[in-house]
Amino acid sequence: MSAPTTRPVRTGRPTGSAASAGTAPSTGPGHSAPRARSRLRGRSHLIGAWLITLAFILPVYVAFVSAFKKQDQIVSNPAAPPIPFTFDNIVNALSRPDNLVQAGLLNSIMVTTATLVILVPLSSMLAFYISERSPRLRGALLAVFALGLMVPPQVVLLPIVTLLRSIGLANSYAGLILSNVGGGYLSFAVFVYVGFLRTIPREVVEAARMDGAGDLRLWWRIVFPVVRPATATVAIFLGLWVWNDFLNPQFILGPLQGQTITTGIYVSLGAYSTDYSQLFGIMFLAAVIPVVGYLVSQREFIHGLMSGASK
Amino acid sequence: MPSRSLRTGRSLGLAPVAWIAVILYGMFLLYPLVQSLFLSFTDKNPLQAGSAFVGLANYRELLSDDRLLSSLLFTMIVVVAVTVVANTVGLLLAIVLNRSSANYRVMRTLIFIPQVLSGVIVGFIWRSILTQNGLLNSALAQVGLIDEPVAWLGDSQLAVLSVCTVVSWITIAFATVVYTASLQSVPQELYEAARMDGAGVLGRFRHVTLPMIAPGTTISVVLCLITTLKLYDVVAVLTGGGPAESTQSTAFYLISVAFTDNRFGYASSIAMFLLALTAVVSYGVTTLLRRRETNL
Repeated sequence: MSAPTTRPVRTGRPTGSAASAGTAPSTGPGHSAPRARSRLRGRSHLIGAWLITLAFILPVYVAFVSAFKKQDQIVSNPAAPPIPFTFDNIVNALSRPDNLVQAGLLNSIMVTTATLVILVPLSSMLAFYISERSPRLRGALLAVFALGLMVPPQVVLLPIVTLLRSIGLANSYAGLILSNVGGGYLSFAVFVYVGFLRTIPREVVEAARMDGAGDLRLWWRIVFPVVRPATATVAIFLGLWVWNDFLNPQFILGPLQGQTITTGIYVSLGAYSTDYSQLFGIMFLAAVIPVVGYLVSQREFIHGLMSGASK
Repeated sequence: MPSRSLRTGRSLGLAPVAWIAVILYGMFLLYPLVQSLFLSFTDKNPLQAGSAFVGLANYRELLSDDRLLSSLLFTMIVVVAVTVVANTVGLLLAIVLNRSSANYRVMRTLIFIPQVLSGVIVGFIWRSILTQNGLLNSALAQVGLIDEPVAWLGDSQLAVLSVCTVVSWITIAFATVVYTASLQSVPQELYEAARMDGAGVLGRFRHVTLPMIAPGTTISVVLCLITTLKLYDVVAVLTGGGPAESTQSTAFYLISVAFTDNRFGYASSIAMFLLALTAVVSYGVTTLLRRRETNL
């Protein structure tokens, strides 16, 4: 890594591809020895990177293969691939008498879908409304909504439980969904939408307004289609957070009325379960929807995280 | 112009929906916040009707509550350890993985998975690894590294270490993605220029990378702090706060005071304390790091 001045300027690399501080191999066109050396370095870097990645992700790998191994295989050699392969854990998880997995998944799908179906239009309309207000009112409203980004859910949990009890929605899905819609998630969605709306030229909205479109129609015909990337971010992140939420379902829904998949796992896998074949079978089924969803939408996922992170 | 459209009635369609959202937010965030403050001055018990105003009694109790103090100490250890570890490792991983070939894209996709899993599932995965007759001990015994099982979750100090490790693992996944995004926004020309000036690897890191990713660092650090301060799910599954309450986070203690002891009043004063702590820490660190951004 010495004598950086003698190194030829890199060519033919897209900018932004290798911003790592000096670890990027510099290719030297016309110099076969440096090129061979840098290719070698590139390959050892690749191998090293894979080793680090695999070591980091080892617990996920163990959980994944264990879903398809028998108990003694899991304990005797946790890292071994699932040979012989068994579907027993999955079948057993799905044929539990308490219907934990099916009921939990169904409830989670229901709560997550209902929350998103209400929250997405509500928050995008609210964000559009806020963006159209005078700077002072807009600033005030955004300041109020910023609170929701910071307040830990434990802080507002007790009054929400009491409030829902007093309006007859204690331990109900409606109560859980309403508190999802009105809580910190709304703040997150509003900020994503307002941030995105700021990048939309005023003319787009004004032109449609000149044509006499009312605000509601304006939102539906112009704004909502234009903010689709923001909707993807909101839907992906809120979907994941609501799906994975533990605290709110645990205490707002309560153990008696039903379980989301997250609270269901917590309650039924108990405090001291070492029946790994059962545990990993159930966890595979619980994790497969968010993980597949992530893999399918990862481009939007990472993009959303980056645009959120750069604000 | 915007304010006129409000008065002409053309925005009538939108205003009611917007205000429904504001009312819901008022009901499920603002009101609970105020109510929490109010409850913290009472002896509210959810099993009894009514409650009495007790003044500052709950706050006086806070000051002499040893369980709160030890939960606070534990929370601070985890917050500091996780923030330091996750940001250091996350940045290193981002540097290692910041290349454009398909291999590296796949690796970056894999690294983020701990963030996609719920805290409960992460907790169960790690519990089966770390528990007394768990997978780590059996693997270590097989290769002859240990003679008898290590109490990763059963010994107070090891349990604290275990929680720090697991939470760091989750947070590294997040930090890596944020740092990757930051690194990709650094113009290549700066590296070339630094190279021309004779800067070595460390010099380029110190004088190009660190200043250019400073905004990303601020975001990553502050979000690490905020999420770790409300640590709950992982602790609930991994250790249940034990052994002997050695891994009881403040958020976890708050919940057990509220729902095990049924002391909503006192729990609310802990909630107010947690809120103030979160606000002070995140505001303080944000200010500090923003100043650093301009100085670098």
